[in-house]
Amino acid sequence: MSSTGIRVAALDDIPEGEGIAIDKAITGTADNIALLRDTDDSVYALDDTCTHETASLADGWVEDGFVECPLHSSKFCLKSGEVQGLPATRNACPHRVEVRDGEVWLFPGEAP
Amino acid sequence: MSVGRVVIVGGGIAGVGTAAALRTGGFDGEVTLVDAGEFPYDRPPLSKDFLTGTRDLKEIALQPPQWYDDQRVRLVNRTAVTALRPRDGAVELADGRLLPADRVVLATGGAAARPPIPGADSDRVHVLRTADDADRLRLALSPGAHILVVGAGLIGAEVASTAVRLGCQVDLVDPVAVPLAPVLGPDLAAWLHGLHAKNHVTTLHASVESFTERSNGIEARLTSSTGPRLYDAVVLGVGMVPCVDLARTAGLDVDRGILVDAGQMTSNPAVLAVGDPARVRDEHRAEHWEAAQQDGARAAATLLGAAPPEPSASWFWTDRHARHIEAVGHMDTASDTVLRGSFDGPSCAVFGLRDGLVVAAASVDDPAAVRAARRLIDRRIPADAARLADPSVKPRDLLRG
Ligand SMILES: Cc1cc2nc3c(=O)[nH]c(=O)nc-3n(C[C@H](O)[C@H](O)[C@H](O)COP(=O)(O)OP(=O)(O)OC[C@H]3O[C@@H](n4cnc5c(N)ncnc54)[C@H](O)[C@@H]3O)c2cc1C
Ligand code: FES
Repeated sequence: MSSTGIRVAALDDIPEGEGIAIDKAITGTADNIALLRDTDDSVYALDDTCTHETASLADGWVEDGFVECPLHSSKFCLKSGEVQGLPATRNACPHRVEVRDGEVWLFPGEAP
Repeated sequence: MSVGRVVIVGGGIAGVGTAAALRTGGFDGEVTLVDAGEFPYDRPPLSKDFLTGTRDLKEIALQPPQWYDDQRVRLVNRTAVTALRPRDGAVELADGRLLPADRVVLATGGAAARPPIPGADSDRVHVLRTADDADRLRLALSPGAHILVVGAGLIGAEVASTAVRLGCQVDLVDPVAVPLAPVLGPDLAAWLHGLHAKNHVTTLHASVESFTERSNGIEARLTSSTGPRLYDAVVLGVGMVPCVDLARTAGLDVDRGILVDAGQMTSNPAVLAVGDPARVRDEHRAEHWEAAQQDGARAAATLLGAAPPEPSASWFWTDRHARHIEAVGHMDTASDTVLRGSFDGPSCAVFGLRDGLVVAAASVDDPAAVRAARRLIDRRIPADAARLADPSVKPRDLLRG
């Protein structure tokens, strides 16, 4: 599947170790998408709503390759979306992201 | 020695967490999980979304049904373990069957406390520990019903908040003027207790002396008020009693909990204990969700002979009146506190300090502050009170010094 990326943010819009949510009206996906910046400069994208209840993963704590949900602390792998532990039991859906010249390009629905 | 068959008694978060951690850690033997209920479900929603009826039992299952097959965890449901037989290498089930076990993990949780208040055995007096309790209580929480909640700690406050949301008229009684002060610090605890009144819950500072069944309700006699008060239903939220009978009968050391070492081993090396009923000598029982899960991870490490997971300051969450509260560490050990934000703002946090280090924190709608504090505690990063107090310094940046 080839899709066109959307320029959704500048890298500087996302503080290190934090996330921002991109509205589904922009991404065209069922859920908003969380752009999550690790403690280095890498950026990842996961469906924003935690698979457990209703927390926004963009409000989570991002560190060492994982995002920790701001409500009940389930952790998800930034790269794969794989859930690391309860209370969530389902993986988060990952999306492809590219950072080019300080701009963040999101490819909604495309596997990383 | 190699362990072939592990039987876990109890399918709460501690038992399911043990099973999950065994498989994640590469355990290749048999794992059997025995639980008295239909299937293992999560308990925190019982006072929240499950009580309102927004989520049903399947939606609060701890694991989806196929997880047990995928992970080769044999679930023996609707079955109680009635005795441990460590010498026979087995546990005994209610129907007399013996389940062979090289190691047993006791994850039996607890029961809601029922203090000996005269009249408390009435059908109108509820407790809340199981999904059945919640189903029964939901029927009583009809719009306009007069409800008395006894105990304004964690579960009592959650039930009062849920009941008022369902349209009930709620009185919340506690003999302690400021419940949870040792856990949250006196100022935050007082403010949170005050949140009840702002949300139309009447808080009463008293104890219950007795209940009397009447044709149209149940009368409660309180130490503070002159006359008895009439309610449609009463909910007791006054703590839990750990399930230690199996351990005691099997001769294990029991003292306000099943005594365990740092690897969750009881006084019998073939038996481990995890979750709400387990207690490390000289410590308090934790009685929180994450602590129970971490016990399971530690027990699995012990069974695997693997290194235990890194310890971390104890953490919990609770929700009331649509506010999300988190706490970490031991606020009662703090010599100073620092407030971040203001109580009446959109969010706030309190940090407890001692000897230049953060020892505790509690937050309202600011989980990142508590997550930062947890790392400051675990990593023993020196505290800078001015930065902690400054909401313009992001929680993340507090770790960067
Ligand atoms: C209403 C409510 C709300 C809560 N909210 C929060 C919250 O918001 N945040 C938080 O951090 N914590 C919360 N908690 C606390 C948290 O749920 C508990 O700490 C946690 O459930 C403890 O897990 P456990 O596995 O040790 O015990 P339990 O969850 O009690 O599980 C024990 C299981 O063992 C089974 N069992 C017992 N004896 C036997 C036997 N002989 N044979 C077979 N099975 C047996 C029981 O049926 C039960 O399923 C709440 C608790 C309640 C009751
Ligand atoms: S909402 Fe994310 S873990 Fe509960």
